[in-house]
Amino acid sequence: MFIDTLLIGISSGAIYSLMALALVLVWRSTRVVNFAQSGQAVLSTYIGYEICLHTHNYWISLPLAIFAGAIVGSLVDLLFMRLLISRAKSGPIAEIAPVIATLGLLGLIQSFIGLVWGNTFQQYPSPLSGKGFTFGSHVIPFSPQNLFIVIASAAVLAIFGIIFKYTDLGLALRAASFQPEIAQLAGVRVSRVRNIGWAFAGAAGAVAGAVITPTSTLSPNSLDLLFVSGFIAAVIGGLDSLVGAVVGGLVLGIGFSFILQYIGGSVTFLVGFVILMVVLLIRPQGIFGHKVNRRA
Amino acid sequence: MRSRHLSPRTRALLFLVIGAVLLTVSGFIGELRTYQGAQVAVYMIAIASIILLTGYSGQISLGHGAVMAVGGYGAALSFNLWHFPFAIALLFGVLVGAFGGFVLGVAAARLSGPYLAGTTLALAVGLPTIADQFHVLGGEQGLNFDIGDPPRWVVRLEGGDFTQYKWFFWISIVVALVALWGITNLLHSSYGRNWRAGRNNAVAAGLAGINVARGKVLAFTVSSALASLAGALFALLLGLVTPTAFPLSLSFAIVTGAVLAGVGNLAGSIVGGVVLVAIPELSGSLTTHLGNSQKVSANLPGLVMSSSLILVVLFMPNGLRIRKFKKQVKTQ
Repeated sequence: MFIDTLLIGISSGAIYSLMALALVLVWRSTRVVNFAQSGQAVLSTYIGYEICLHTHNYWISLPLAIFAGAIVGSLVDLLFMRLLISRAKSGPIAEIAPVIATLGLLGLIQSFIGLVWGNTFQQYPSPLSGKGFTFGSHVIPFSPQNLFIVIASAAVLAIFGIIFKYTDLGLALRAASFQPEIAQLAGVRVSRVRNIGWAFAGAAGAVAGAVITPTSTLSPNSLDLLFVSGFIAAVIGGLDSLVGAVVGGLVLGIGFSFILQYIGGSVTFLVGFVILMVVLLIRPQGIFGHKVNRRA
Repeated sequence: MRSRHLSPRTRALLFLVIGAVLLTVSGFIGELRTYQGAQVAVYMIAIASIILLTGYSGQISLGHGAVMAVGGYGAALSFNLWHFPFAIALLFGVLVGAFGGFVLGVAAARLSGPYLAGTTLALAVGLPTIADQFHVLGGEQGLNFDIGDPPRWVVRLEGGDFTQYKWFFWISIVVALVALWGITNLLHSSYGRNWRAGRNNAVAAGLAGINVARGKVLAFTVSSALASLAGALFALLLGLVTPTAFPLSLSFAIVTGAVLAGVGNLAGSIVGGVVLVAIPELSGSLTTHLGNSQKVSANLPGLVMSSSLILVVLFMPNGLRIRKFKKQVKTQ
């Protein structure tokens, strides 16, 4: 039972990590918490769903959904965030303008999805079985799809890790988030690098949406709760730490899984709220965050 | 900050006149419009709570729907369980909400911007699940909140055709006007000045001897009291409270209403309340013209609301008001 709960926790934790990673990537590049992240993820998942309807092949739709997620992320930055940041500098809502604007974007994306695909629940099936592995006579709740979720998330995290650590692009991304002005002086094209950060975030969110949706249903609001979990995970890890996002996601996923198993499912988000409060009040920079970088 | 200042007495008189006009008008409009009028009044209070919080104290809450739920549950519970009179039940709901707001505000004063937004969002998701935990809160089914027929003296005053909806309209309008009047006075007092000072420049306000953190906690408490008042009235209009009656979208809607109306001025809450009721109504009739598609009717209001929200944030940070305001003092 303990191992089962742990495995399920790792699987959902992997998804939270991806969402948290998306939030952290945007936060590092633009100092904005993107409340539309779940909207972008669900839009890319719908694109994957549509491709899957025509091709009947999940394995074709998955990379295309991820690509669509990157495009959507990049477009949100180009068409929307740049305008917002240049315009909403002062005035009565300057401080909260990014929050409000990304919320507006979330509503816009979700009603757009509703207009195109309707608000009914859709199935985005994966060829992998949702039934748990069997060991002798014992069926555990961990299914091949869960295993795939863990593998896909680990792959994404590894790719991002390699990009950030070993490539020039990763160096530029880190420089642009650490000291934008100095990075600019050093020849980094900061606005382009930021845009790549948004595209990466969109892709990470798309992976989360496209691998989790086969285990349940797809609707315009189906990833809203994932955003909340991802946010809590990102704050636990420190909003500007990529490693923190992964650790925070896993901690939260495993924690939620044990609460679900031993206390009951309905209190998970209340517990999440309490965890969030405790972290913010005791260690506001998160477990892996840097105090100096936090501007809140 | 405001270009036009009314003396307290003129202001009280103005509210009295508005109230008298509205109550008279209620005799001449249909059932549906009366109900919508009551809705506008409830939204007005809820939006005023956000305007007070965001516009005057510089904080944000995406969880005020949950605070409204606290007020609704508080009022319904005390009315059903302890048989409080309606007015006292309303007050009880407000007190419970204010206490919750105080606790939240103590934490909120240390957070800012996106952190506070995310935390209150988590609250909005988490809080309704409490209802499942306690039998007395009625679980998924929620609680009934039926205050019965209008009292005899009101019916006699108005003649025979005094309906339930008209009674709700009267209650909501009177409560909303009293609440807004009280808040207007509060904002014109030293508390309001201190909030604005703390919002515009926390360091300078602190140097001037203002306890900015305490002001923020107080603002969150007052704002939560207002929101729970709105929640109790909201429950009255619905006739019940359930965990799903106060969804995330309600929290977003009142923030949207506040931003559309302009968070810098309390009078905006009237505009915001009307907008929140009018957009679904207008898009409903627009849908009929577009051929009554299910997809359109379900999503047009959201589309209109979110696009106007984005446009307002980008191009009209003072909200949809026609009157031009003096340029805001820059914070840095």
